[in-house]
Amino acid sequence: MSFVFSEIPHTSTVRRQKVNDFLQSVDLEMSEDVEIFVIAKEDDRIVACGGLSGKVLKNIALDESIRGEGLALSLMSELLKVAFREGRHDLFLFTKPDYEEVFESCGFKYIEQADHQVILMENSYNIDLYKKRLRKYKHSGDVVGSIVMNCNPFTLGHRYLVEQACESSEWVHLFVVKEDASFFTFKDRYRLICEGLEDLENLTIHEGSDYIISKATFPTYFIKDKRQIDSLYTELDLNIFRNHLAPQLGITHRYVGVEPLCAVTNEYNQQMKKLLVRPSEFPAIEVVELGRIEYGGEPISASRVRKLMQQNRLEDILPLVPPTTYALIVKMMSKEEVK
Amino acid sequence: MSKKLETAHAGTLESSDAFVRVIPIDEKGIVIELESSVEEIYGDAIRALILEAATAMKVDGIKLIVQDKGALDYVIKARVQTAILRSSGENEPDWSALS
Repeated sequence: MSFVFSEIPHTSTVRRQKVNDFLQSVDLEMSEDVEIFVIAKEDDRIVACGGLSGKVLKNIALDESIRGEGLALSLMSELLKVAFREGRHDLFLFTKPDYEEVFESCGFKYIEQADHQVILMENSYNIDLYKKRLRKYKHSGDVVGSIVMNCNPFTLGHRYLVEQACESSEWVHLFVVKEDASFFTFKDRYRLICEGLEDLENLTIHEGSDYIISKATFPTYFIKDKRQIDSLYTELDLNIFRNHLAPQLGITHRYVGVEPLCAVTNEYNQQMKKLLVRPSEFPAIEVVELGRIEYGGEPISASRVRKLMQQNRLEDILPLVPPTTYALIVKMMSKEEVK
Repeated sequence: MSKKLETAHAGTLESSDAFVRVIPIDEKGIVIELESSVEEIYGDAIRALILEAATAMKVDGIKLIVQDKGALDYVIKARVQTAILRSSGENEPDWSALS
């Protein structure tokens, strides 16, 4: 039996539709963010496919009729070749627990699961290195807080949340979401956070990683306009936080701001309250939901700042952000005018 | 071989072949991670073979991740050599060192 492999780039809509049809025939939903598909054809019929999205392999599927003939391994060889060619060597993949062994034999290792329905695997096992590095920043205490923030951009609202956490904890670990999927780059976000929180003494600011709200652990977080959230991904992300990251730092609490506006973040908060305390071999993490501070009768939020930027209302942004954030926004907006 | 090494790979995951990845690491030495379909019988021998092939090429500070699908010795050796050559960006290998 011979199979012909080929690549389908993002731009090829007609052929992508055929991949979509194939995926539906095996009960999988095509993921829109896949950049390149690798397909295997037999007599002009698609019998297997797999996709590359950033550093994540997804939509890997084989037709019932050809399973158990080694095609899975050929497909993975092709898919890995494409990923490596694109310079993506540290890869993740989502699959069902039933297929763990198949992917293990392709060099992937299990990281975490959600609801016995989906597992996350990676081919580098960098999570061990990351955990080892985290351990160096451990501070003991009865209340060790944690916050995960994107800060797109850093506002006085964020500042308030961190201050509150630092007041009620002996130490606080702040993780800055690393994924560059926001309006402000990671570099800018990280710098503004460091500068805006310089005076807090019991705080460590960590660069995020692939293991905390990233496209690997939580792909749907970055596709907010879909207005729906896959609870499996939320669970996966939170399981990694609780079972892998928090134990390294002895984290006992996680602080979040209440989220009245964004459905995705609010759902994440609600899940957090449930999942971080349910019985498990790892210590429970108490979730503290803090109210937001307001200005002019409205909560201060990053989305409010971005909206004001679009409307070019600099003077209304001033009372919402620290001076360092304001300075960057002024600089960005003056550049835009030049354009 | 003193050139800076980069991540590289050679081979496939197909039956009777081996898929070899070279990853530079910060520590000294050669770290081997082997996953083999004939691990129980030949695991140690394959590890020795990989180490010998890599040592002969005078590389240091690398991790070799090998998925062996029951490949013959010379196939494994060739895959390891190719991956390391690619990793060093070498176009004109010293053939005598590869025997």
